[in-house]
Amino acid sequence: MTATVPPDPHASGDHPGPPPRPTAAAWARENLFNNRHNSVLTILLGAGLVVLVIYGARFLFVTGQWEPVRTNLTLLMMGTFPREEQWRIVVQVYLLCAAVGLLWGGLTAGSRDRARDAGVPFSRARLRDGVRRWWPVFVLLAVLLGMTRTWLPLAFVASALALGVVARRLMEALPEAGRRGAWFVAGVCALAGWQILSGTGGIAWWWGSALVAAAAVRLTRNVRTDARWQPAARLALVAGSVAVVWAIYAQLDFGGVGWDDWSGFQLNLVAAAASIVLAFPVGLLAAVGRRSQLPAVRWLSVGYIEVIRGVPLITLLFMGDLFLGFFLPTEDPLSKVTRAIAVMTLFTGAYLAEIVRGGLQAVPRGQVEAAQAIGLSAPRVLGMIVLPQALRAVIPALVGQFINLFKDSTLLSIIALTEILRIRESIHGQREFLIVGIAETLVFVAFAFWALAFTMSRESQRLERRLGVGER
Amino acid sequence: MAGVCLAGWWLYGNLVDNLTRTRIPTDFDFLTQPTGFAIPENFGFDPDLPIWRMVLIGVQNTFLAGLVGVLLASIVGLVVGIARLSSNWLVARLAQVFVEGFRNTPPLVVIVFFSFAVFSFGPLPVFPEALDLKLPGSDSNWLVLSKSRIGIPSLSAERHVGLFWIIVLCGVVAAAGVWTWRSRRHVRTGEPHHRVLWALGTLGLVVLVAFVSLGGPYAWSWPARSENGRRLISGFGTSAAYLSLTLALALYTASHIAEVVRASILAVPKGQSEAAGALALSPFQRYRHVILPQGLRIAVPPTINQYLNLVKNTSLGTVVGYADVTNLTRTSIGNANPAPQSIAVLMGVYLVFSLVISLLLNIYNRTVQLRER
Repeated sequence: MTATVPPDPHASGDHPGPPPRPTAAAWARENLFNNRHNSVLTILLGAGLVVLVIYGARFLFVTGQWEPVRTNLTLLMMGTFPREEQWRIVVQVYLLCAAVGLLWGGLTAGSRDRARDAGVPFSRARLRDGVRRWWPVFVLLAVLLGMTRTWLPLAFVASALALGVVARRLMEALPEAGRRGAWFVAGVCALAGWQILSGTGGIAWWWGSALVAAAAVRLTRNVRTDARWQPAARLALVAGSVAVVWAIYAQLDFGGVGWDDWSGFQLNLVAAAASIVLAFPVGLLAAVGRRSQLPAVRWLSVGYIEVIRGVPLITLLFMGDLFLGFFLPTEDPLSKVTRAIAVMTLFTGAYLAEIVRGGLQAVPRGQVEAAQAIGLSAPRVLGMIVLPQALRAVIPALVGQFINLFKDSTLLSIIALTEILRIRESIHGQREFLIVGIAETLVFVAFAFWALAFTMSRESQRLERRLGVGER
Repeated sequence: MAGVCLAGWWLYGNLVDNLTRTRIPTDFDFLTQPTGFAIPENFGFDPDLPIWRMVLIGVQNTFLAGLVGVLLASIVGLVVGIARLSSNWLVARLAQVFVEGFRNTPPLVVIVFFSFAVFSFGPLPVFPEALDLKLPGSDSNWLVLSKSRIGIPSLSAERHVGLFWIIVLCGVVAAAGVWTWRSRRHVRTGEPHHRVLWALGTLGLVVLVAFVSLGGPYAWSWPARSENGRRLISGFGTSAAYLSLTLALALYTASHIAEVVRASILAVPKGQSEAAGALALSPFQRYRHVILPQGLRIAVPPTINQYLNLVKNTSLGTVVGYADVTNLTRTSIGNANPAPQSIAVLMGVYLVFSLVISLLLNIYNRTVQLRER
């Protein structure tokens, strides 16, 4: 197998150096006043733009009444999250930053090593590029920190970012063998963060057992067994680890705040993230079902996909809010948030199915035939040959779907869940802000969504270019 | 397979059990019961009318928002999409800011912004003290602006309306005839056809003559408020809720359509544009005759998706109190009508909308697609 080098966006490439920078006057002549038509347009639009910028700046810095946002910043971000449990969020953010830092460092180190093996010059991403790519997020952070009244949040954000950078450096410095262990540490960090936040109650044991089972299977990979017994041994291993983890969790009582008590912007993020993760198996199943040989399975999948895609999310949310519990035997055992996330999962599943189907169709027939020719079973053909190729092609579309879901999470306000838009509404129920800053709070909410969605969409376009989707 | 059937049967059994336990009816008889509430902005609706009539009015309102939204979004999207490729740096950048701004903001936030920040709590006066914008040198208004209702001029039927429209129809036929004549003549003699000018000129002439000779079948109805200032007695009144919904959705969808348009234009091979330039076509002619017809072919399927999204998104009007079918259904469920059946009807309505739109546009798509041998 030959080593493949991923295209490196930061390498200078084989292009000749950029042409000399034109002077400002030459540039303006070329790009703004190159003919009579364009000159008129430039002057008209320029005048309009100046007026708009002056008004906008006046609104932002002079006339805007940002007091409602400033006073209720914590409410907007975390809603009714119990204040005495806030340390859980702090710990989770630290752990997540560490995990992301490790992950990022691992990716950088991996491409550095591959570049070294291939004898290609490698340059690390520079801070300037990071700022250029992520500026909306930094602006959002700056706005949030600028509105707080204490220095504590600033110290928190700065230390969390520093932790991420340190973790990244650490990962880069590790030798390749050590990095493998660090991947596992990153996973544990992410998971532990989630556990510390949401506690060990409910079905939390499921996450822990999934991780432990995966680790157990991986560690015993090289133990030689009779091929006949291997599946059974695997199954026993997985079942054993699940049982052990469940037993441990049953003993632990760690408190925690489940997602029923989350609100504010946190709920928007969590609802979108949880739905897309949970919807993935649903979408995969429906996409494969749509290509099934059995007509009944095919029609069922088509029916599910087309009905869900044909109706607005809000009707489904009403359904979840009003009578989803009626489909279950006991008297409405699910909380409002759980039902909403279940509905969003169902909704996203149908869209993911179509995205995955697009990816499946992009896999050449020869791949399947070749896999069958070397004697792979049908599940293995799907799992080892088709899906890896199909999913690689649909990553950008998945990000796009996540952005849509993130934006659609505002719809939860319609079924009276206290996500950020609902909290904004309740702010204007406070006596001092009844008619103060209506536009300002909305602009703040819109900007929070915009900053994250815009950054994600640009990163996904970058990813699309790097993966070369549509070019191969 | 059997498992799926079993699960479906189990779910359905639970539903029926729970419905009977809570004494919610399991049939669709409620559709013929009286609605029991008035519909905002619909003064002709009697609360005693049955629920299915209410659903129809909701469908009509959804259609109205969807249609105007689709038209606006298409126009704005096309213009912005072309502007993004402008050679003028400022135009291209402004178009990009528009697209990235609206595309990445939740549509619900934009709707709420229009409804609350622009109208309800905006700078406009309340309706009894509405801003009457007079026509210069006249006593009638061309626009009545207020927080809650906006009046625009409309046409009121005066006399011989039926006859007028029959003549207009004849004018259309005549215009079509002129169009064919000009085309044939162009083919035969090669002189410029100017068939759009000719056809529109014919139609305009017929309409003008008919209008004058019938003594004005239509007259302007200028918007005016009643004595006490509480009602709009003439002109066409539209609510702030409708305007917020339609404008916000149009702008949101336009940002998506602009991206579709841009991608489709970029997908037309560069040689086409250069060849058109070599034939000394003006930039407008280049777009009109060479680039847009080819780009359209690529743009139609993704645009269909955007239209469908827009129609589905009109359900967000429920937040600002627009009486679309979702909002009315929700109110009706609040009036103790059975939720499962109501939602089923609602979903049926949207499925029909989706099916009809995709059917119509797929037919259109087939007519513009490349016909290969």
